[in-house]
Parts: sequence; structure tokens; C-alpha cells
Amino acid sequence: MSANTARTALPNATTAHAISGATATGRLHYANLRARSLLTAKMRLLWVVVGFVFFTLTAFVRIGQLGMVAQSPDHGAAGDVLVPPRAEITDRNGVPLARAFPSYSLWFNPKALGAKGQPLVKTPEEVARALMQIFPGEDYADLLDKLKTGKPTYLRRRVLPEEANKVFALGEPALEFPRETQRFYPQGSLAAHVLGYVDADGHGKLGMEEYLDGRLTDPAHRAEPVALSIDARAQGAMEDELSHEMLETHAKGAAGIVLDVDTGEVIALASLPSFDPNRSDLADNDHVKNRATNEVYELGSTFKPFTVASAIDAGVVTDLAVRYPATPLKIDGFTIHDSHNFGASLNVPEALIHSSNIVTAQVADKLGGQKLRDTMIALGMNQRARIELPAKGFPIWPKGEWPRLRTMTVGFGHGIAVTPLHLAQGYAALVNGGIWRPATLFKVDPAHAPAGNRVFQASTSARIRQLLRLIVVDGTGKSAGAPGYRVGGKTGSAEKAGSNGSGYKNKHSLISTFAAAFPMDRPRFVVIAMLDEPQATQSTSGQRTAAWNAAPVVGRVIPRIGPLLGVVPDGRRDVDVSDLTPLVANGDGE
Amino acid sequence: MIVTARRLRSMGWVAMLVVCAALVMVLAFRVNALRSQVHQSQARIIALKQETMYLETEFETRANQQQLKAWNDVEFGYAAPTAAQYLDNERQLASYAKPIEPGAPAPIRVASADDSAVVYPAMVSPMTGKPVADDGDHAAPAGNDDGAAKPVAKTTLAVATSGLAGLGDRLSTVHHAGHDKTATHTQAKAKAVKTAKGKDAKAAKSGARLASAADSHAHGAAAHHRTASGKSSAAPPIRLALKDAKAVK
Repeated sequence: MSANTARTALPNATTAHAISGATATGRLHYANLRARSLLTAKMRLLWVVVGFVFFTLTAFVRIGQLGMVAQSPDHGAAGDVLVPPRAEITDRNGVPLARAFPSYSLWFNPKALGAKGQPLVKTPEEVARALMQIFPGEDYADLLDKLKTGKPTYLRRRVLPEEANKVFALGEPALEFPRETQRFYPQGSLAAHVLGYVDADGHGKLGMEEYLDGRLTDPAHRAEPVALSIDARAQGAMEDELSHEMLETHAKGAAGIVLDVDTGEVIALASLPSFDPNRSDLADNDHVKNRATNEVYELGSTFKPFTVASAIDAGVVTDLAVRYPATPLKIDGFTIHDSHNFGASLNVPEALIHSSNIVTAQVADKLGGQKLRDTMIALGMNQRARIELPAKGFPIWPKGEWPRLRTMTVGFGHGIAVTPLHLAQGYAALVNGGIWRPATLFKVDPAHAPAGNRVFQASTSARIRQLLRLIVVDGTGKSAGAPGYRVGGKTGSAEKAGSNGSGYKNKHSLISTFAAAFPMDRPRFVVIAMLDEPQATQSTSGQRTAAWNAAPVVGRVIPRIGPLLGVVPDGRRDVDVSDLTPLVANGDGE
Repeated sequence: MIVTARRLRSMGWVAMLVVCAALVMVLAFRVNALRSQVHQSQARIIALKQETMYLETEFETRANQQQLKAWNDVEFGYAAPTAAQYLDNERQLASYAKPIEPGAPAPIRVASADDSAVVYPAMVSPMTGKPVADDGDHAAPAGNDDGAAKPVAKTTLAVATSGLAGLGDRLSTVHHAGHDKTATHTQAKAKAVKTAKGKDAKAAKSGARLASAADSHAHGAAAHHRTASGKSSAAPPIRLALKDAKAVK
């Protein structure tokens, strides 16, 4: 623009040279004008360049920003939505056992219709009645109270979508359905004692929810589920068979355990009666008590194999053909009886098959209190069971030196009270070659199983496997003999001691236990079934001992879980008991 | 004019600047549009993942161990396999195949009886006691030679359509009296084929004899025949299926 002005000024300059006086000032003026115009031109060019540079830079910066700063969906705010506030718990095969689930809750908001006036369209009584029709389990008086007080509160913590629709159809704006992430257990009451529950404040209670509380809520690990050692199918089968037997025998409770003998993994751990962890508000009752790990029982005759193993291991019993008198034994004014009269004498295999207290007491006596005590300590019977669950009962453990009578009673499982889990761990050590390992609820890589402590020699363990198999083939455990699974085990029917150590007064209150392992030629799993105070019913042929209630449970559970756990039934394989069969006279007993 | 040209040049620069700015803006808009698309896709992925999670949870809940057990108790009655149901290896499997001994009956390869030439008793109305007049091609024959000839003539059409495939079906399918009613639809066609091919006059002759022989199983077979022809109602197969289910239980 300024250059043009300078050029257009030139013709004017040629016409003006005739007037000499005005020439000098005119030239100066034009020169000034030209210089100024040039400057303006340069300035404008600079602005253009600056503009270009600015826009280019802006574009590059923007592109760079998009490329560098924009977050990928996995880590950005969008990805966080998929990370649950509390990590999932699965079984060993990835079946979800507990997960965070956004569900509806029923919230009463009295301010929904404005601060003034009635919070509800209908009367509180009508609304409460209508809610009772949708939720028959609720308490009418409680609902009415909440609706009348006019305070915002939860009417119900968890509502199904169809229930929410029904409540919505009542046309009460004060009844709201906020969607909240809650803990949901798709399997219902399955493995409730293992899982525990999450309370209203979001903290894990009981079971692995409590034990893993920190890990499950840790932001760094929330996205990864925690795999337990539980197999949901085995757990389901165990709970099903136990509850079936519990109903048939009118038992007060039941417990069941399936334990991997080589790794200590708990495949199933059941305690009945159970509770529904989805209703954590109802979980504060007796049912949350875990009979498998928290309650201690005198487990009776199931301890006899420990005594015999300890005696064989110590070289006290070297010849299984040696016979012991089987007449009632008087020690310190206390008489040890058997359930039946098994004749004048019994050898050790017969004593186990018929479950003779008298002979086992003599073996324990021969072994000595110190050695039996050492074995029991090595099997962890003097401390809480080693497992992750927070609820672990402390055994009733006879302190100090054991007198002769105490040694004898412990020999057949009285005077010492442990949890069924203690028993399962002990049986695992009995049959797996003699190694005691702590139980765990976490999946264990078989290559990195804990080393454990040797309690019995491998030869002792092999002998015990034969003896346990004999008990199922010829003895009290016949009803546990699932065909093809080579089950071995021992019954135990212990009278419950009265409260305050008042002795065994009630002959009808029994703890019936069956401790088994299978397959006996190469044991993989220990199965424990325990019934608390089973009654004599028609289905148990009027009997209340373990051979008639706990052993059949094991006999039904093993065929259901065996194939799932990789044990193929085979009718042509078995542990060789031919060296023991000549020692056993046929006969039944308990 | 020159002035305009010079002005134009400078204006050209401005225009170029404006164009560049516009291009940058377009780029920015496009980038933003793409970004919002990505965000939308992300949101959709999340929504779908959540929905998958809801559905999976619902499935897990409805098919939990206790529920499955209840269904099994009421509906299916499955039991764990026994030791005899397992095979150790191929050798054991092969041991089940034994050579045919001399004098053994010939292995039954085709279990489908050639009943297409069989004359079925007419459907009788329970009200009037008279044969039900069946219009169309599938007239219920009254057990005489005329009736037997009808299906034979009718099936000549099916020869062209079924051909060898029908033969294969027939060889590979075992014909049970009570099972697989619907599955034997094609098989029945194949039977018709065979009739037309081989039997012709012979079938017509033996029709009456076969009809009397077929009386004993006429009830089930008639139901079968009607189903196969695609004409009658679905009631008989359903009834049979229910019967089978009961037998299994």
C-alpha cells in the first residue's frame, strides 16, 4: 500500500521541477513518505509472518497435545468406570463367587415433594401395606415407622429391577431407587463361611472378605480378581449332601471339608446351617459361626489312626498280628469300654476296623504320653488351625505332662477337642507320605507347594493307607466305599461332653465324623464330613453313629466330586491290602 | 488497475492467512470430532461391558449350584458316571469290538422297515364311527388293494427329488418305534422312494397281507406316517416325547 503511494507520487515530482523553490522541500517530503511507507509495509509483512507462525505453532501444539497428553481408554477416566470399587473373588476355575454389582436400593426421600407438606401421596399405612406385598419378608411396623418419621433413610438395601418397577408403579415420588455398587454373591449361600460378607460400610466381615479387605479395595489391584482354592462344584456337592443328611437325621449342624493332600488347598469347606451373604443385614446370627474352622469338637475314633501311626512310626507296634486283650480296661477309677464286645482279644487292624477304644488305649499307653503329645503337636493340634480365615477356634489342648489316663483317652480322640480342619490336615499328613502342610484358601501352583514338615515316615503312611482302606472294605466305613474310588477312612462317633466339663451324660448327643481320603493307591484328597447331634431316624436304620450318617455322606460326595477333580474311578485298581487281610476276622462293629 | 493488483497481492496474503486459519480450524474440528467419536465408542464399550457383566451375573445367579441341583432333582436326574462308564485308553475301547463269530446273525444295518406299502386302517371319527374323509393326496385307505396303490403312485414324484441322499439317510438312520418322530421326516420320504422304485405291482399285491400284519403296531406307525407326510397335527409326536421323558425319569 505504501509502495503504491510512493510510485503514484513520482509523476507529480516531474511536473514540479519547473518550480525550483519548492523542489527541495518536496523531495524531502517524498523521501520521508517513501521511507515511512516502506516501514509500514515491512511491519505489515511482519504481522503476516507472525500470524502464519502463530497459526502453524497452534496447529502443531494442538496435534502434539492430542498425541501426547490425551489418555488411552485403559487408564483414563473412562477406564476407571470398569474397575470395580472392590475386587472380584472367584473360585479356582474363575467362577465368580463375589463381585461388585450396581444394584438398586430403595431410599425414602421425604423432601421429594417439596420441603413443606406431606412427604407421601397416600397415607404411610397404605404405602407400607403396598410395600409389604412387594417385599413380603419385610417388617410392616418397621417400614411404617420409617415412613412416618419423615427422615431420609434406606427402606431396603437391595431391590431387584422388577421389584423396583412395582414400587415405581405405586406412584410415590418419595420412594427413590439410587443405583449403588454393592457386593453381590451370585452363588447365594454357597461357601458363605469361606467368603464372609461386606457390611453396610463396605468393610469385609468374616471369611476371606475380611482377610482380603485391604487387597480387595487396593486401587492398584482392584481390577484383578482374587482366585480362591475353592471349587464351586465340589463345594456345591458337599453342601448339598451335608444338608440332605442334616435334614434326614435332624442334626443341629454339619461341617465338611475337601482338602488337597499334596498342596493343602481347601477345595471345599462347608458349614451348615449357612447364611446368605447377600443379606448382610441378617447375617448377625448363630449361623455365621463356622463349624469347620471355629468350633472345636472331640472327634473321637477318627483320632485312632493318629495313635496307631505314631506307634508304628516310633517302633512300638512292629507286628500287626500281636493281639491285645479287648476286655474293659480300668484305669485310675475310670473304665474304658467298647461299643460292642468284640471277643477276648483284637489285633491292631481289627481294632481299627471295629473301632476298639480298649485296644487303641493300650497302644497309646504303650507308646507313652510324650510321644503321642509330640505327634499331636507336629500335627498342629495344640494351636489354631493354619488357614487364612479370621475365625479359627483354639483347640482344647491338655496342658503339661499327660497322665496315663489322658494319654489313653487322647489315643481314641477324647480329652482333646479340635476343629474339623485340624482333622483334615492331620489326615492329609497321614496319607500323603507323612508331610504336614498348612491349609490354604489360595490357589497353589503344584510346583511351588509348601515344603511342610515331616510327621510320619513314608512307610508308616503307606501302612496307614492300607489300614484306612481296610476300614472301608471290611469295617465301619463300608457305606463310604464309592465303587472305583478306592476310598479309605475312619468313622468317629463321640459323645458330646456336657457344658462346664460335666462329663458325657447325654448318650444321644453325638458328634459323628467320617474322615476319608481317596484314591488310596495314590491319595489326592481328604474328605471330612461331620454331623452335630444327628438323631436316629428311619433313614439311618435307627442308628446315630457315623457309619450310618457321616460315612454315607462321604460315599455320595466322592463320586460327585471325584471326576470333577481329576480322579477317574477305576474298579480294577486298589491299594494292596493282601498282607493284612489274613489278620482280620470278619465282623462288624463301631 | 495496478493499484488494485498490488492491493490484490497483499489481500492475497491475507486471504491465504485466512485460508490457513480456516484449515487449522477445520483440522481442529475434525480432530475434536474424531475424539468425541472415540469417546462415544469408549462409552459404548463400557456400557456393553457393563451389560455383559449384568447378564453374566444374572446367568451365574440363575444357574448357581443350588439352582442347578434343584433342576437336576426335578427335571433331569443326572447322576455321576460310574467306574464302568470310563475307558482307560484306546486299547480298552478296541477291546469292545470283537470279530463276528461263525453263525452269528448278520449285523443289522438298516433298521427302517419298509412300511410305505403297508396299508393303514382308516382314521375313524370317534363321533360317527365312519372313516374320516381326508381330502387331498393322503386319503386314508380302508385296507384294500385300491388304497395300497395310492401311496405308490403318489411317491413317484418323490423319486426325482430325493434320489441318493434319501438312500444315505435310510442307511444311516435307525428307526425306533417311539423315538425321533420329527427326525424321521426325511427318512419317511426315502421309504416312499424305495417303494416307488422296487415294489410297484408287488407292493400292491402284498398290500392287504401287510396291512393285516401291521395292525399290531398300527397305532404308533400310523402316527409316524401322518407326521412324516406333514399333514397331521403335531399331537402324536409330542405325546410320545412326553412318554419318553417319563421313561427316562
